[in-house]
Amino acid sequence: MKRFFAIIESPFTRVFLIGIIVLSFQTTLFNTLRPFSVVMQVMLLCSAASGVAAGSESGAIAGFMFGFMYDMVLTSPFGLSALVFGFAGYIAGGVNTFAYSPRWWFKMLSVGISSAAAVLIYPAASLVVGVDGLLQTRVLGVALTVGLFNAALALPTVFLMRWALVKSKKQMLWAE
Amino acid sequence: MYSFTRRRLIVVLLLTSVLLLTLDRSESGLVGGVKDAFGVVFRPVERFANVVSRPLSNVWRGVLDYSDMRKENLALKDLLVKQEGAAIAATASVREAQELLALNGLPTLAGIDSVTAQVVGQSPSNFTQTFELNRGKSSGIRVGMTVTNGAGLVGKITGVTLERSVVMLATDPEYAMSVKVGACTRANTTTTAVLQTSTTLATDGSSTSDTMVPGDGWTTPVTTVAPSTTTTTSTTSTTTTVLQRATTTTIKGFTPFATTLPPIPGGGGATQITVPESGVLLPRETGAMEGQGIDRLPVIRFIQASSRLGDLCAGVPVVTAGGSQSLAPADLVVGTVSRIVTRSGTSGPLLEVELAANLGSLNFVRVLLYQPATEIPQ
Repeated sequence: MKRFFAIIESPFTRVFLIGIIVLSFQTTLFNTLRPFSVVMQVMLLCSAASGVAAGSESGAIAGFMFGFMYDMVLTSPFGLSALVFGFAGYIAGGVNTFAYSPRWWFKMLSVGISSAAAVLIYPAASLVVGVDGLLQTRVLGVALTVGLFNAALALPTVFLMRWALVKSKKQMLWAE
Repeated sequence: MYSFTRRRLIVVLLLTSVLLLTLDRSESGLVGGVKDAFGVVFRPVERFANVVSRPLSNVWRGVLDYSDMRKENLALKDLLVKQEGAAIAATASVREAQELLALNGLPTLAGIDSVTAQVVGQSPSNFTQTFELNRGKSSGIRVGMTVTNGAGLVGKITGVTLERSVVMLATDPEYAMSVKVGACTRANTTTTAVLQTSTTLATDGSSTSDTMVPGDGWTTPVTTVAPSTTTTTSTTSTTTTVLQRATTTTIKGFTPFATTLPPIPGGGGATQITVPESGVLLPRETGAMEGQGIDRLPVIRFIQASSRLGDLCAGVPVVTAGGSQSLAPADLVVGTVSRIVTRSGTSGPLLEVELAANLGSLNFVRVLLYQPATEIPQ
């Protein structure tokens, strides 16, 4: 029983559950809301927020998981989103470590920059695996919009991902 | 500085991604199986999210799209009225063409079964252009099948589960299709005279009575009459549309092909008759149409501007080429040429295609149960 609760309490189980719920809204609600004809990328937002909340390593793993789930509903090369979102989580964690005690605006900046970077890297990575035609000037506008949107929603998402990835002292005592 | 753990983590994640990409590109059935299994878990959650988020989506649409919708609705009503007459004439022509093809033992679209499906989802990505349909393997849909709507080609099926299928749109950069494009057939509307000659019987019995449609090689009909014959000639003015390469037929009273267009609303009741002859049926060049991504029109490559084909111009129809290796059956409407980009050297012109189907507002589509030979698993 203790083992079962340990699995349930595992940060990556929480990431998976959050991922499923966020993905369902990504494919429904956020697929409809398209400011400037750009689809908001909430899975990418969660990946970047994971990096800010729990550091580069956890961010990379959580980003990989979010990307992997996203790949399940896309027709693009399987594993590409996992790779790019993992990178976004890692970069977000890395940027956040530049500040000793990052303020709220720095967290937003970290999420925004890493999200925009991921959007720019995605078509380049697609080109490497043989999918031609995605690298267009339009990507710049998409990156800017996604970056701004993700920066705007960074704080509550970082809070959510901290809950998912970082165990509090109370939880650790309970697990023992 | 990177610690050993960090480096190991990055390497493991990179290798896992590469492994997944390799599995996907090698078209292993494993990836499809994993996606199907995930779909079983994910669909109920997605359905729930759809129900919860629908009011918010409707509010968003209502706020942003209402005025556009009203304008579009009025424009569409106007267009519909104009199109109804043309559609009836077109249906009759298509039926005739299909009957002719069937008579000659050639494959026709009428002989291909189809399944009607509803669009239930759109790709959440900013890069791929796909739609999800509410029909799948259980309805006979397979990967590679062509998807159309009332207007024309929409795309092809790229993924199928038991109850769902994914359509890649014709504008996706990964989409390619062999198509046929014709040269312009510029119609010259001219008012010409049809000479009617009536001849009374000659005493020796020799007589000639002829009616000809004037063309390039039109000559006055030769009438051989005896001196005692009385000839009355009258000229009737009629508006006839003669295509550029029309030639004179020598068969009396024969019109090889004629299409009477329905009267144009508000056109004053004037009727024009288009009389193209067999020589006007210009050859069509085959090229490869490729999607160019969101907000960009597909283009046709490998068209040779030859004298055989004649002049290329905007507005000519584009249809699928068909053939044993083609992804779609022949003569499926794709759209019209919207722009011609002339290129130097032997690369030939590049044609931009305005698709007949409006891919921005798809609701119901038709999946042709025609699986191309190239898509059938070996």
